[in-house]
Amino acid sequence: MEFNIHSIVFLIFSVITLGGGLGTVTSRNLIHGAVYLIVSLFGVAGLFILLSAPFLAAIQVLVYIGAIAILIIFAVMLTRSMTRMTEIYNRQWSLSLVVSALLFVLLLVGIILPVWGPGTANAALQPSELVATTVDLGVAFVDGNQFVLPFEVASLLLTAAMIGAIVIARDRD
Amino acid sequence: MQLPSLSELNLGLTVPALSLALWACILLVIDLFIPRDRKSVTAWLAAGGVVFAFIANLLVYRDPGVAFMGLFVADEFAGFLNIVVLLTAFIAILMSVDYLKRTGIERGEYYVLLLMTTSGIMFMNSANDLAVVFIALELLSIPLYVLAAFRAPEERSEEAGLKYFILGAFASAFFVFGAALIYGATGSSSLPVIVDAVGRALAGEGSSLLLLLMGSGLILAGLGFKVAVVPFHMWTPDVYEGAPTPVTAFMSVGAKVGGFAALLRILLVALPALTVAEGDAVAGWQTATWVVAALTLILGNIVAISQTNIKRLLAYSSIAHAGYVLMAVAAAGTPGVSDQATRAALIYLMAYMFTNLGAFAVAMAIEKDDGSGTSLDDFKGLGRSRPLLAAIMAVFMLSLTGIPLTAGFVGKWVVFQATIEAGLYTLAVIGVLTSVISAFYYVRVIVNMFLEDGEGDPAAAATPYVQWAIYLTFAGTLVLGIIPSLVTNLSGPVALAVASLVP
Repeated sequence: MEFNIHSIVFLIFSVITLGGGLGTVTSRNLIHGAVYLIVSLFGVAGLFILLSAPFLAAIQVLVYIGAIAILIIFAVMLTRSMTRMTEIYNRQWSLSLVVSALLFVLLLVGIILPVWGPGTANAALQPSELVATTVDLGVAFVDGNQFVLPFEVASLLLTAAMIGAIVIARDRD
Repeated sequence: MQLPSLSELNLGLTVPALSLALWACILLVIDLFIPRDRKSVTAWLAAGGVVFAFIANLLVYRDPGVAFMGLFVADEFAGFLNIVVLLTAFIAILMSVDYLKRTGIERGEYYVLLLMTTSGIMFMNSANDLAVVFIALELLSIPLYVLAAFRAPEERSEEAGLKYFILGAFASAFFVFGAALIYGATGSSSLPVIVDAVGRALAGEGSSLLLLLMGSGLILAGLGFKVAVVPFHMWTPDVYEGAPTPVTAFMSVGAKVGGFAALLRILLVALPALTVAEGDAVAGWQTATWVVAALTLILGNIVAISQTNIKRLLAYSSIAHAGYVLMAVAAAGTPGVSDQATRAALIYLMAYMFTNLGAFAVAMAIEKDDGSGTSLDDFKGLGRSRPLLAAIMAVFMLSLTGIPLTAGFVGKWVVFQATIEAGLYTLAVIGVLTSVISAFYYVRVIVNMFLEDGEGDPAAAATPYVQWAIYLTFAGTLVLGIIPSLVTNLSGPVALAVASLVP
């Protein structure tokens, strides 16, 4: 692999992603953990840009950092009694170590085999022809030939979910 | 690029489902202007929407077709199931009006959510694409989660909502993962396209066949959760017991109709080639549904015996009934019997709808305002204090058992017939034996009502709407059971329905 600007940027974003992830799981303070998570998600957004997927990068920032991370912080603030919990809560760390190690190996195999394993010569890593660009993706949502019906029903679904959330959460009078 | 015009989309065919969804959104706004003490107006408006959709459905289903370029099918299969679902919604609204008022949870959103979940089921009946099935499944489920918790902050209702939500989210994840695997194996989410790809996969490449099998297994698990079959039934008794009774009644029928509609359509339209192993060692979905149906019948019926609460008893009974419908699904896996078995499933669902809603309506009439009074002991002496109500409940119990002259008998008859035609004799024997077992707990309710003396008279709420719901379901149960000519007439459109489904 030649050493160019591309790989330097990749290295930077990888460090941000992994460092953020490490910070998330090692931080004793939940708020700090949430902030580290945002850093990590930001790094992933950078990786998406490197993969020439600017749409995914924008969505990553908007949805994961803009919405989900904020949601996590809200949840942490609402359950304040847990925020300062410093002792180890999980007593089955040896079991979880085994499970996460297995998962790691599984993912590693899943990534390595298709790229460097046998028979990769004919496995062309072309971008999918079904959704080539962001424009195609957008058109698919409003084109009557494609997914306009599920798209519209999804908006109905979100309305139902919102009404439901309010019905459950609002104060009884 | 050329976008299709509105007429090309065939919007007219989607009117029953879309009008109901739209009316739910409008009703949400109208409800703001209805004063707090007159929320029964909202109920009537909601019922009006259901009636409109019902009429629209009757008109549309005479002239079947495809809308949204194949994503949405308005065929007789969907039309028939829409009739079942809209009747369910109408009866559930009738049951709700008084119940919400006397338990102090009368809010307009209840009816809006009920209409939304109904439209979700209708989309599911018509869905011809895995993406639409998934979105419709969510539209079915999410309002039901909220409705199950509608009595919050009452603890059992909250527990019901939370349990249903968490397990339901898992089931949806299973379904969507399965759909993704099938998409990966076949390159399409459209059911009619998948069937060709499945044929190619069976002919050649092995890797995509594995994906297909895993995908269909996961879809089976996801939908199996929605229709509550063993081993995906764990949530059922707790949720049915904790949810407000009209909601329990609705979901015991509505969610099952939606789930079985999607299951039948996916299995018969997209995956008919995966039914049974022919020569090689591929285990098809007929074997899978066979095993699940047998487990469901045995466990549902046996555990029901030890129940002391009528809502829990009906929950296990509804698990058992899902097993009988699944028997028909398994039978549909035998190529020549597909349409007979599908017809049996549809007739069974309609018979079960009337009977089960009726049984829940009577249980609700006995229930006290604080949610207690649903124990089987509370039925003691009902035969003396309210003879008519007790007699009707006895008919519902006999119909659930499958005694002749009731709808339940007709349903079981056609299902057993289809199972035997399909050559699944062991399954048919299990079905008959478990029906006999089921008589034990159904008849115990009757014994409690007529032969035992209670401490106090059961205070049945004699409100007119509930009575209408009970009379309506009673009439349905008897008419379906007594007049065989109506059943044969009924199977006319059903036969058409099946013809539209089975290629």
